Amino acid sequence: MKVPDLAYVVEDDRITAVITKVIVKKELCFRAVQTFSNRQQAFDQLKVAVQKGANVPDLILLDLNMPLMDGWEFLDAFSTLALAQRIRVFILTSSIQPEDAEKATHYKEVKGYFSKPLGKDNVQRMQALLSEVGAA
Amino acid sequence: MSTFIEQHPELAASITQNSVIYDFLQNSLTDGLWYWNLLSPTEGWVNATFWQTLGYAADQVPTDFAAWRACIEPIDLAAAWQQAEACLQDPTLRFDLVLRCTHRQGSPVWLRCRAIVLRGDSDRTAWLVGALVDVTKEKHREAYAQEVATHYSSILSNQSVYILKTDAQGNYTYVNDFFCERFGWEHDLIGTSSLLSIIEEDRPKCLEVVMQCFQAPEVPHQVILRKPYRDGSIKANHWEFKGLLGEGGELVEILCVGYDVTLLLENLHRAQHLLDVTSQQNLRLQNFAYIISHNIRSHSANLTSLVQLLAEAKSKVQKTMFLQMLTTSTEQLADTIVNLNDIVTINNNVSKPKAARSLKTDIDKALEALSVLIHQHNISVEVDVAPTLIVTVVPAYLDSILLNLISNAVKYRSLDRPAFIRLRAQINPMGVVLTVQDNGRGIDLVRYRSKLFGMYKTFHDNEDARGVGLFITKNQVEAMQGTIQAESEVGVGSTFTIQFHESA
Repeated sequence: MKVPDLAYVVEDDRITAVITKVIVKKELCFRAVQTFSNRQQAFDQLKVAVQKGANVPDLILLDLNMPLMDGWEFLDAFSTLALAQRIRVFILTSSIQPEDAEKATHYKEVKGYFSKPLGKDNVQRMQALLSEVGAA
Repeated sequence: MSTFIEQHPELAASITQNSVIYDFLQNSLTDGLWYWNLLSPTEGWVNATFWQTLGYAADQVPTDFAAWRACIEPIDLAAAWQQAEACLQDPTLRFDLVLRCTHRQGSPVWLRCRAIVLRGDSDRTAWLVGALVDVTKEKHREAYAQEVATHYSSILSNQSVYILKTDAQGNYTYVNDFFCERFGWEHDLIGTSSLLSIIEEDRPKCLEVVMQCFQAPEVPHQVILRKPYRDGSIKANHWEFKGLLGEGGELVEILCVGYDVTLLLENLHRAQHLLDVTSQQNLRLQNFAYIISHNIRSHSANLTSLVQLLAEAKSKVQKTMFLQMLTTSTEQLADTIVNLNDIVTINNNVSKPKAARSLKTDIDKALEALSVLIHQHNISVEVDVAPTLIVTVVPAYLDSILLNLISNAVKYRSLDRPAFIRLRAQINPMGVVLTVQDNGRGIDLVRYRSKLFGMYKTFHDNEDARGVGLFITKNQVEAMQGTIQAESEVGVGSTFTIQFHESA
């Protein structure tokens, strides 16, 4: 398994974003983590990266409830991108609404659904999923 | 007849003289004969047929000659006496009356008595000879018919059902007393148009049902129509229309039977309203649960992670950073709890007392509170609200609603053009309508309409947007039985329209 280069953390709460960034770097061994406080920015940058074929993230950690662009809208837009390489999306949310978890299963881009906090259990599940998807 | 008798003198002789014919006639044509001495009213005689009619067998006939008197109602006997006297004076008069007699078993027997008065030569004798016919059956039938008539007339004019008929043109041909009494009209209603008594809005509905009566007269057609009651209130009645056909099978009349369903409908609306309030509250509760899960959990998640990170931190710089974040996080959690408390407070005070307020005064107060910001951003404000306009509101809610809408207009003003805020108020049948219009950044309603008034929804990338303002505003408006709507276009501006509900 190669060392993953880049992860996006799309999260409007600054403290959560910083915490997530620290954990993703430390526990999931990403070299770089970029945080976005709104999804539109995240999507715009992703689109440019995909077009240039450079700096495309390996993983996107997506929060569901944010201003401007709803998490689902981000996923809808995401699925229209022509991707040369695999980008894994994990949803990391504080929602405990069953509807959200159910809805997430309809997006094939979503490889994992996690409820905050990003504790030991969640990190282990992410590690397992990442190696699994990476091997596939 | 007389010619016939003249042609057969022997038959005439037999009829007058032959006792066989006489007996036959008296027994077969009458139910009794009665001889009464008009000079001595206690003296009289009745034949065996009379006793038979009253239920006495041959061996039961009283031996007392005066027994017949006890069988006839004294009042009727007195009336008979009077009529007999009159006949005695005036021979052209006919004696014909009904005597109430008592059957052996106690039941009444009505005997029609036709009689002739036989006068002696020198006024020394005067007899009444009466032929009695049992009319008890007819009397019973008459009584029954009377009872039926009374019964139906009491149904027609009873206390709870309207019964009326109209001709094929819809003019009244019959209305029962109850209908008249309830709707305060006189009987000269007959011949006037029934349509005019129905409120205008319901007339097409009535006509439609009348058309159905023409198409299928035998089947009852149901409809609920509203009419003005005599005290001016509007009553809803449930009607059943049925066509009445003439001999040629054509519709000649429409029979309409109705009853008041005002209370029923009011209760239905009340139940519906309760259901609406309940579902609204349910929705709010769900939303609230979601908010708690999202916001409190997100802070608690942060706190958990930060404590963990703080424990594992190696450098002092890291420790200081995490500690700083921990402080901010606890502050945010406290803020969130304050917000949630605001929302719970509205939902707890559904029945807060309302007061009459001058809308203009309260608008001026809100503008005054925001005057620094308004001046600072050079926003022009127009208020087109009559100073006399009164709204019945929960005062604290009105203040909060005005502050929130106006401060939103300030916060989301356009940076490209001179900003304005316009407040206007009008009166419509429901109450006062307030519009707050701005030419600010606007909201993409195609995308956000369903979320506009939701909790913790923000639509601009604004640092201090909490996403509770419009949610609280909507809750406050609805807690006062009002409604709020928004029109908006990105880059053009937004208009919020509040309908106050005065009566509640």
